[in-house]
Amino acid sequence: MLIGKFVPINSIIHRLDARMKIVSLIFLLVAVISTSTVYGYAAIIMVLTVIIWLSKLSLFAVLSPIRRLWLFFIVIFFMNAFFFSSDNPLFSWWIISFSGEGIRQGIKVVFNVCVVMILGNVLTLSTSPIDMTNALSSLLTPLKLLRVPVEDVAMIINIAIQFVPTILEESNMIRKAQTARGAHFESRKLREKALSFLPLLIPIFISSFRRADELSLAMEARGYRNAKRRTKKAGVPFRVLDVTAVAACFVICIIQIYI
Amino acid sequence: MNNTVHHNSTVIHGSDISFSYDFDGQLSSALTDIDIEIKKGEFVAILGQNGSGKSTLAKHFNALLPVQKGKLTVCGIDAKNQSEIWRLRRLCGMVFQNPDNQFVSSVIEEDVAFGLENYEVDRELIPDMVENALRLVGMSGYEKRSPHSLSGGQKQRVALAGVLALDPDIIVFDEVTAMLDPMGRKEILEEIHRLNKETGKTVVMITHYVEETVNADKVLLLHNGRVAGFGTPREIFTNTELMQRVGLVSPVPVRLFNDLKAEGICLKSCPLTNEELVEEICRLS
Repeated sequence: MLIGKFVPINSIIHRLDARMKIVSLIFLLVAVISTSTVYGYAAIIMVLTVIIWLSKLSLFAVLSPIRRLWLFFIVIFFMNAFFFSSDNPLFSWWIISFSGEGIRQGIKVVFNVCVVMILGNVLTLSTSPIDMTNALSSLLTPLKLLRVPVEDVAMIINIAIQFVPTILEESNMIRKAQTARGAHFESRKLREKALSFLPLLIPIFISSFRRADELSLAMEARGYRNAKRRTKKAGVPFRVLDVTAVAACFVICIIQIYI
Repeated sequence: MNNTVHHNSTVIHGSDISFSYDFDGQLSSALTDIDIEIKKGEFVAILGQNGSGKSTLAKHFNALLPVQKGKLTVCGIDAKNQSEIWRLRRLCGMVFQNPDNQFVSSVIEEDVAFGLENYEVDRELIPDMVENALRLVGMSGYEKRSPHSLSGGQKQRVALAGVLALDPDIIVFDEVTAMLDPMGRKEILEEIHRLNKETGKTVVMITHYVEETVNADKVLLLHNGRVAGFGTPREIFTNTELMQRVGLVSPVPVRLFNDLKAEGICLKSCPLTNEELVEEICRLS
């Protein structure tokens, strides 16, 4: 899994309102993208360190998506280093042009992607799925003006998240059943590997549709009509801590844009 | 309100109910001329083999399936009346077979609140009602847990709490024990009986396990979509000819009673449970 699974511990970051965490994340992303000076990068690293420290999460867990994607980072670094067009390349041949600017660009892109992944990872590690769903549906509320059925979308996300463990468990079971009947899932060849997943995918697909059918009956039996005609969720007020966190991220964002 | 029912009044009354499933224009008959009458506070088991129409009939009681032919009144509401469907579903709750396919939230208290939210119950009232429902099924203290962390029996009890939260008059259990291990089956069966006795709620239990129905007030025996018998468990299970015709095996004590009779040993009355059997055998000497 590229994004982390919620780790329920008690930290300032965990206690923050999920809506505010998402908004803060967006501000920080803008800040990272607008950074261009060495001091700017140093500041970003400092902010990141403080956030990870406040979250009380283990560095191992926070950095795990980076560790898994090292090859991807090397590729995007070289793509930038070799194909970035520059006025004074150190070395140039055909479409390849190798320059100091290219290397700088490569480092910048890799750095940005790393920071984005770490921040996103801290968000998912420190926010329960339910809080995340509620926060998303609350932040999506303005889309109602565009006639997007926000409540239904939130209900869909909620149910999808809730069924992930069930379907994972089932896919494991089917995998074992198919292995027992002679299916191979360990082939190294890409084509064979892709084909070998068919005996796994088809039963999961069929059973998921049956689940959906049964769940919809159970929901109707309990009086579900549509997501609009339901008791509204409580509007949780923001606390000083939440507002301070967003303000801090906003200030960092503004500073990075103008310096 | 005309749905306030007094003791011994009829809560489910159906006559001549027939139903066919439509498979791409091919009609397949599932129920034929069903007559049924269930009184308030009764524990009625609907028994039959797979494909006998048990679940189809059960899904009529809360209007999950429309009445195609015949007449059905539940808690004084005509099941054909589209405008009353939601009121009907609140009065007649249903627990399903697969515990995993009836949860809508990964937090137990949110799942139990689901039905209440659907009926737009005041937000302030919900926490108490949820707590109350979970206490009724003995699952207090699990509010914040995920349904996935529970055993099968516990999952079904939480599903039951979700139905109980709406305080229905009737609860239909649609093969709720079918996917449970023996311990889970025992656990949920005892829960259903306790609920029926303590709260006086009418229980309709669908099952294909004969043993689960011996403590019911009435048994409705379905065979090929028709009512094959309706009476007390004793009346049904001691009717050997009837049980053979519908392809079901009587409970062990009844079979032993019959075997002993064939050997010339007559017990005073036919026992249904192991306890009754032991008592009868002790009385022999």
